[in-house]
Amino acid sequence: MNHQHFNKVMIVGLLVAAFALPLVVRSATYMHILVLLLFYAYLTTSWNIVGGFAGVLPLGHAAFVGIGAYTSTILSLQYGVSPWLGMLVGGVLATIAGVIIGLPTLKMRGAYFALATIAFAEGFRVMVENIDYIGPLKLNGPRGLQIPPLETGLTSFMFATKEPYYYIILVMLLAVMLLTYIISRSKLGYYLIAGGEEPEAAMALGVNVARARLIAMAVSSFLTALAGTFYAQFSLYIHPKSIISLDMSFEIAFIALIGGRGSIIGPLLGAMLLRPVSDFCRIYFGDTLPGMHLIIFGLVLIFVMYYQPRGLQEPLSRMYQRLFTRKTLATTGR
Amino acid sequence: MTMLQVDNMTKEFGGLRAIDSLDLTIKKGMILGLIGPNGAGKSTAFNCIAGSFAPTRGEITFDGTRITGEKPWNLCKMGLARTFQIVKPFASKSVLYNVTVASFATTGSRKIAEEKAVAVLESLNFGDKKDILSGNLTIADRKRLEIAKALATEPKLLLLDEVMAGLRPNEVDEMVDILKALRDRGITIFVIEHIMRAIMALSDRIVVIQFGKKIAEGLPSEIANNEKVIKAYLGEDYVVA
Ligand SMILES: Nc1ncnc2c1ncn2[C@@H]1O[C@H](COP(=O)(O)OP(=O)(O)OP(=O)(O)O)[C@@H](O)[C@H]1O
Ligand SMILES: [Mg+2]
Repeated sequence: MNHQHFNKVMIVGLLVAAFALPLVVRSATYMHILVLLLFYAYLTTSWNIVGGFAGVLPLGHAAFVGIGAYTSTILSLQYGVSPWLGMLVGGVLATIAGVIIGLPTLKMRGAYFALATIAFAEGFRVMVENIDYIGPLKLNGPRGLQIPPLETGLTSFMFATKEPYYYIILVMLLAVMLLTYIISRSKLGYYLIAGGEEPEAAMALGVNVARARLIAMAVSSFLTALAGTFYAQFSLYIHPKSIISLDMSFEIAFIALIGGRGSIIGPLLGAMLLRPVSDFCRIYFGDTLPGMHLIIFGLVLIFVMYYQPRGLQEPLSRMYQRLFTRKTLATTGR
Repeated sequence: MTMLQVDNMTKEFGGLRAIDSLDLTIKKGMILGLIGPNGAGKSTAFNCIAGSFAPTRGEITFDGTRITGEKPWNLCKMGLARTFQIVKPFASKSVLYNVTVASFATTGSRKIAEEKAVAVLESLNFGDKKDILSGNLTIADRKRLEIAKALATEPKLLLLDEVMAGLRPNEVDEMVDILKALRDRGITIFVIEHIMRAIMALSDRIVVIQFGKKIAEGLPSEIANNEKVIKAYLGEDYVVA
C-alpha cells in the first residue's frame, strides 16, 4: 500500500468516524460542546484564508460573524425570509464590509493591520449595542434578538435536537477545508503565501500582493458570515456581546496560531485542543474568573510558539509521516 | 533597437541624492555592466527602473513604452525581471515552490507553472535541489534561486544585482557562462557586480557611477584603463584580478 493510498484510507476513516460520532455521544451537553468545536474550527479555517495564507493577522473577524447572524435573523424575523437565503445575503454584506476594511488596511504591515481590524470590529459592536432600529430594521440594541421556535426541519433551519446542527456544521467545515486545499494549490494560494513571506520579492515576480490579499479577505469574510447565521439558528438568541465579541475574534486567532497558521488541518487541530479548555473554564470558572480561558490560551500560545513556531500541525504531521508513510519531511518543503 | 532607456533620472531620499541625472541606454541582446563604489547608487537605480520606488525626476522607457513609476508586478508582466542584492527567498517553501510562484506570471495553471519551473531549474543545473527548503540553501544556491525565479517570469530584460557576491571562483566562472548563455537566448541583461574579473568578461559595455553620477562609460577594455575610474572606483588598494 503506497502512502497516497494510505492517506486516502485514513481520510475516509476519519470522515466515517466524524459522521458516526453522534451515534456514540448521546449526551446533549457533549453534543453542544462538539457543535461549538466544529463551529470554531469552521471560523478559524475561514479566517486562515486571509490570516494564515496572506501573512496578516486579522483580529476582528467576529464582526463578520455578527453581520451574518444579524442579517439572516432580521430578514427571517421581520420579512419571513428563509435563514438559508439570509445566510447568503449576510455573506454578501460581510464580503462588502471585508473589502471596505481591507482596501485601506491590507497594505499595512503587522500590528497596524491587526489594530485596524480590532478597531473596526469593536466599533461595529458598540454601534449595534446602541442602535435599536436602522430604518425599519429592528436590531434591538444590547438586548439582542430572540428567534421564536418554528416548525422544525431543514427548511426552517431549526431542529429540536443537536444532531442536525452537528451535521450541518460538519459539512460546512469539510467544504471550507476542501476550499482551502484547492486555494492552497492554486495561483491565488501561491501568490498569498509569497506575498505573506516576502512582499517585495513577490511583487517583483508579478504578484499584486494587495489585490491577492483583498480577494482572500473577501472570501474569508463571506465564509465567516455564514457561520454567523449558523450560530443564530443554533442558539436562537443573539446579542452583540455574544456574537460580535472581541473574545471570539481573539479565540479564532489563538486557535489558528496554536493549531498552525496557513495549514489546512491546523485550525481543526487548534479547535480540538482549545475548545475543551474554553468550555471547561466557562463551566468551572465562568462566574469567578470569567477571562480564565484567554489566560490559559496565552500560556499555551507562548509554549507552542517557543517549541513549535509553526503550530501543532507541524510535529503531528511529521509524526504521521514517520509512523505511517515513512516519507520524511526533514528537508522537503510543502 | 533599444531595450531600456533612462533619461535624466534623479532619486532623492530626503536630503540625500542617491541618483543624480543619470542617462543610460541598453540595446537589445546586450549585456550592460554597472559598477561603482559601495553606496554609489547602483541598487537604487535598479529599484527605480524595476518600480520599487518612483524616481524623483526623469523618464524610463522599456522596449518602447514609458514605464516611469509603473508598479513592479506590471513591469514583471511586461517582461522586466530583477533579482535582489539581499536575496529574498520564500524561506518556508521549497525551491520548486519559489520558482513556481514566478512562473505563474505567464499562466494560471499550476501544472503548467510547475513544469515551466522545473525546466528553468534544469537549465540552471539546479533541478536536483528542487525539493529542498529554500531557507536551507547555501548562499551560492540562493543567488542561483534568485536568477531562476527572475527567469521563470520569461523576461526580455533581466536586472541582476550582485548575483556573484559570495561565490567561489569556480562558481563565478560557472555563473558567467550561464549568463552568457542567457544572452545568447535573446535576453538582454543589466548587471551590477563588484567582481571585476566577472564584469569584464561578461559585459559588452560598462557604465561606472559614483555618488549617483555617471563618471564613465565604454567597452570593458576602455573602462579598465580609464584614469577617472581607476582613481574613483578601484582606488589605490584595489587589485584587478
Ligand atoms: N530606501 C532608502 N532610503 C534612504 N536611503 C537609501 C535607501 N536606499 C538607498 N539609500 C542610500 O542611497 C545611497 C545609494 O545606495 P545603494 O544601495 O543604491 O548603493 P549601491 O551602489 O547599491 O551600493 P552597494 O555596492 O553597497 O550595494 C546610499 O547612501 C544609501 O544609504
Ligand atoms: Mg547595491
